[in-house]
Amino acid sequence: MTDTTSTSATPQLTPAELRTPMQRMLREALSRTSFKVGFGMFLALLFGALIYPEISSIDPTKMAVRSRHIPPLFLGEKWVWAHPLGTDHLGRDLLLRCLVGLRYSVMIGICTVILMFVVGCALGLISGFKGKLTDTIIMRITDAQLSIPMIILAITILGISRPTAPAIILVLGLAGWPLYARVARSAALAEKRKEYIKGQRVLGASDWRIITLFVAPAVLPPIAFVAVLDVAAIMIFESILGFIGLGIQPPTPTFGNIIADGRKYLINSWWIATMPGVFLLFTLTSLNLMGSAMENARNNVLKGAA
Amino acid sequence: MLSFLTRRLFQGAIVLLIVTFAIFTLLRVVPGDPARLIVGGMAPDEVVVQKAEELGLNDPIPVQFIRYLGDLAQGDLGNSFFRPKSGATVGAAAFDDPSRDERAEVRDLIFERIPLTLQLAGLAVVFALLMSFPLGVAAGLNPGRWQDKLAFFTGSVFVSIPNFWLGIVLAQLFSVQLGILPSLGYKGFEYTILPAFVLAVGISPFIIRTLSVSIAGVMQEEFINVAPLRGLRRARIVAAHAIRNASIPLLNLFGIQLGSLLGVLLVVELIFDYPGLGRLTINAVLQRDFPIIQGVAIFISAAFVFINIIVDLAASYIDPRLEY
Amino acid sequence: MADNNSILSVRNLSVGLEKDPDARIIDDISFDLGGGKVLGLIGEAGSGKTVLARALINGIGSPLIYRGGDVHYQDKNILTIPINELTKIRGNSIGYIGSNPAGALDPTVPIGGQIVEKLRSVNPSMSRKQATDRALEVLTAVRIPSPEVRFHEYPFQFSGGMMQRVMIVDALVTNPSVLIADNITQALDVTVAAQIIRLIQDLRDQFSTAILFISSSLPVVETIADEVMVLQQGKIVEQATPKALITKPKHEYTKSLLSRLPRIWGKDIKGPDAVETPNLMSVEDVHRTYYVRKKGTFRDMNAVQAVRGVSLDIREGENIGVVGESGCGKSTLTRLLAWLEEPQTGTIKFNGQDLSALDQKELTKLRQQFQLLLQDPYSSLPSRMSVGRIIAEPLLIHGIAEGTKLKERVRAAMTEVGLDPSLENQLTVGLSAGQRQRINIARALVLEPKLMILDETLSSLDQVEQSKLFELFDKLQKTHGFTYIFISHDMALVRKVCHRVAVMYLGRIVELAENNTLFENPAHPYSRALLSAVPTLDVHPFKSDEYLLEGEPPSPVHIPPGCSYRTRCPLALEICNRIDPKATMLAGGGQVSCHLVDQDQQAQSEQAATVT
Repeated sequence: MTDTTSTSATPQLTPAELRTPMQRMLREALSRTSFKVGFGMFLALLFGALIYPEISSIDPTKMAVRSRHIPPLFLGEKWVWAHPLGTDHLGRDLLLRCLVGLRYSVMIGICTVILMFVVGCALGLISGFKGKLTDTIIMRITDAQLSIPMIILAITILGISRPTAPAIILVLGLAGWPLYARVARSAALAEKRKEYIKGQRVLGASDWRIITLFVAPAVLPPIAFVAVLDVAAIMIFESILGFIGLGIQPPTPTFGNIIADGRKYLINSWWIATMPGVFLLFTLTSLNLMGSAMENARNNVLKGAA
Repeated sequence: MLSFLTRRLFQGAIVLLIVTFAIFTLLRVVPGDPARLIVGGMAPDEVVVQKAEELGLNDPIPVQFIRYLGDLAQGDLGNSFFRPKSGATVGAAAFDDPSRDERAEVRDLIFERIPLTLQLAGLAVVFALLMSFPLGVAAGLNPGRWQDKLAFFTGSVFVSIPNFWLGIVLAQLFSVQLGILPSLGYKGFEYTILPAFVLAVGISPFIIRTLSVSIAGVMQEEFINVAPLRGLRRARIVAAHAIRNASIPLLNLFGIQLGSLLGVLLVVELIFDYPGLGRLTINAVLQRDFPIIQGVAIFISAAFVFINIIVDLAASYIDPRLEY
Repeated sequence: MADNNSILSVRNLSVGLEKDPDARIIDDISFDLGGGKVLGLIGEAGSGKTVLARALINGIGSPLIYRGGDVHYQDKNILTIPINELTKIRGNSIGYIGSNPAGALDPTVPIGGQIVEKLRSVNPSMSRKQATDRALEVLTAVRIPSPEVRFHEYPFQFSGGMMQRVMIVDALVTNPSVLIADNITQALDVTVAAQIIRLIQDLRDQFSTAILFISSSLPVVETIADEVMVLQQGKIVEQATPKALITKPKHEYTKSLLSRLPRIWGKDIKGPDAVETPNLMSVEDVHRTYYVRKKGTFRDMNAVQAVRGVSLDIREGENIGVVGESGCGKSTLTRLLAWLEEPQTGTIKFNGQDLSALDQKELTKLRQQFQLLLQDPYSSLPSRMSVGRIIAEPLLIHGIAEGTKLKERVRAAMTEVGLDPSLENQLTVGLSAGQRQRINIARALVLEPKLMILDETLSSLDQVEQSKLFELFDKLQKTHGFTYIFISHDMALVRKVCHRVAVMYLGRIVELAENNTLFENPAHPYSRALLSAVPTLDVHPFKSDEYLLEGEPPSPVHIPPGCSYRTRCPLALEICNRIDPKATMLAGGGQVSCHLVDQDQQAQSEQAATVT
């Protein structure tokens, strides 16, 4: 039965309705407490990581035999103001080492995610939009790569070649793209079926025009929006690599290698392994709070739009 | 059903072939001469050349690959470079030590370790479900309320904990300080508890998140809204319909996240010195024991393909609309 | 209580919004539903129908809230009794059927199991066996074919009409004394909806249930109700018997409702006469079959014959309508006509040029001349582009204009379709359906096409907006000489605007005739059936008890041999089982594919049969 008598007076435009989905996602995310908390924490940590090693007079790799195994502030008997998180078995300042480690960790995390995003989304978009043989080939490769745990792939390659920061980024990025490819593919598939794409085809638009002008701008921002979560995941990976000894090599401090070193002194100087872990935990929590808040915001906006 | 299996197994075989080829090529093109690695740094060059000839390393890579596939088809994953049949790793023994010829078969090495790894993974999944089910379901039923926030917060913190670090800290606390649970090596079931818990902390954020989102989504569905008007009680609606429908995304998540689950497993085994597949792999990588790396990678891919087929079957059993 | 016979009595019921103490969705409603009576409730979209339906059985929640009044079932106030008491009434003594049968049951559980589950939930003493027997009994009563088999099938295996029957079973299985039917025919095709209405009428006598029948269609309510209430913005503005309401409406709103009803038949109603002009587009025997992998198989394919042998000439400057139920192949034909897909066999010629013979470049160029206007004004426009850019897009694609010339042409097109040029830099969010449809028209218009294919283009608009767009189409036709193809399920619309009408059934055009011939003197039995199902207050020339079909169209995967319509045709002959009728030309330019009409063909094939 046709219900032709629907009301359709021009609806009043509220400012909220005039925003693009991306703006609405951002606003929605910004309004969440968890996002604010996470963002604040992350800014503070990042700020510390960028500033403190520059203004501090201590060198993170300099050993000082006399000030070995100094505990963090207010703990034990020998604590000093100069080393707020204490020192390690070689007398190196832990706060400084953690902050330098954080620099590398965040840098590697962000670069890797960008690489994953670019490679994965490009292949996913093409695969989803073109379909047919292109799709089958790309998806089989994706399946194959998903079926090898990322970590085996990473440690195998890094175990053989020399682990430097670019190598780590390349390996993690190339190991991690398939998930992005899958997400981008299914989003492109969904977008491709929408009426307005059909409309563009009727007008005579080419595939390339449709992908770059319509599909990519619609599909990519929501995916990029939650990439923060992957930055955190990659940072954990980076620290695992460091822990096994396949991360950036000592003496450069990374969370992984500090914890690996500290593990040997757990009984007497528990803080050497614990402090970088807590530090990493805070950083990751801040990222994940932000990321999850953004993910929720995105899901709400997308649900409302559908 | 049968033709579904045929199709999926066929697809799986292609995936495995790609994996095998990729890993095989990767390990052949990297620097480092396997023959030299086997006979040891002290061996004279003639021995190295002879060994290379023996292993067929001088043939072109495609020929080697075909040969490897042939062996694979017979269930032969090759022999370890270093591990002797007896058990102990061959260390710096001389190149002409006769024990060098008695290498363990990769297949045996893998199959020896599977039961322990399965035990660890199984217990971890049980722990994870016990932790995340109540949280996830409560959050999904009360979006925006404290249950939702609690689940959100727990998930965010759990996913932020570096698992190797948690392993170290818990081992220190429970084994060294309190002496309640053993943590290093494996001498009995109690050695599985702590690693399984660490693993569960790594898995549960994904379960909590997926459950809460999918339960909240299902609760918006028309058939849930109409159910009380049809005369169903709330407890029944949640237990029989909401959770049933929400379990499908959970199953799919399990299939997709299996790879990263295995990754976490590897690390946890290393930390706790748990004699499973993970420790075998990491040690093999560190020693450049290529046949083991290759064998484990192929084995895991096969397991991945197989488990995903099971997951799809289970999902289509729950929801027959899904095509298997 | 005013009426001693009343079984459900509603007094001063009001429902508002939690956040706004003054808002009223349902405003001070009182009525009585007498035992065994059918009380109709008519209201437009947004009048509060569904809220009222659910409010009656304590079925509303956030953001809605009760603001007063009560609902008595027998002696109990449904709004205040404890949940345990409520469960004994709701779903048991009071049944509820909603407008969306497809979403009403858990998609992962067979329907039989869910009906049994419900039955045992409201009646715990019932054994599983008893409940199953009862469910099967009622499934048979609503004429669902082979109920024992369908009992174990899942909701997705049912068509919309069959699923609505299942929901009727679900409501009636407890033998309720009150049934609330909330717009139950809304999501269904006309013929299926008419079947459901007839079913409800039959069941009403069988179950002696009082029914509150809610609908947005006055003709539907009129056929079934003993008395009708008119709901406007949460208030009941008039209550009368259907006859009184139609002949002597008292309230202004009722009058305007009546005046807006489209007319199809009557002395003063005539459709436009056909024009005699050269062909613009010729469709010759096009076929389109989709191959879909059979569920759960490796490579077995189901052949879905969506369009099978359609021939159609479209004359320059005419409006031609293509009508038919869901699944008849209309949408596929639309895609073929717009050349979004190519037919597997057969040709489509535009202006004498065979489209399949063109290369990519020529095709892109020719595309400017035939444009498709899509159904949904919301999803058919890209959301991230400004209105001006959307309209400029086709000019950019074809490299027709740029710079200031581009702007001028865009503005000219906007003015021509009645869009305020100040909208140029705005996004489409917040624009009304009518405005959006005008953008659609404008962006097709800038290419100066000859042919416009309208795929249900107007069905999402209200009556007022529809007539405005008709005027626009008419104006454009006069100034630009456009030809229109209306693909539609809305018979009233087709009656009003089309010169000629093609009726589709299972991927074929079964009848093609001039407007007046088709509506007044259709030749094909399916055309008559389709017309008989159209709800209207007009004096209906095709009574539904005489022409209405039972059952539903066969699936396009398993098309019956011979005449594909014979499985439902009340007049089927023996020959229809064997021979697929060819199209017969009729005097006056129409054509029809039916053995009843074509005596010659029948005789010929009889002859052929005796010879062999």
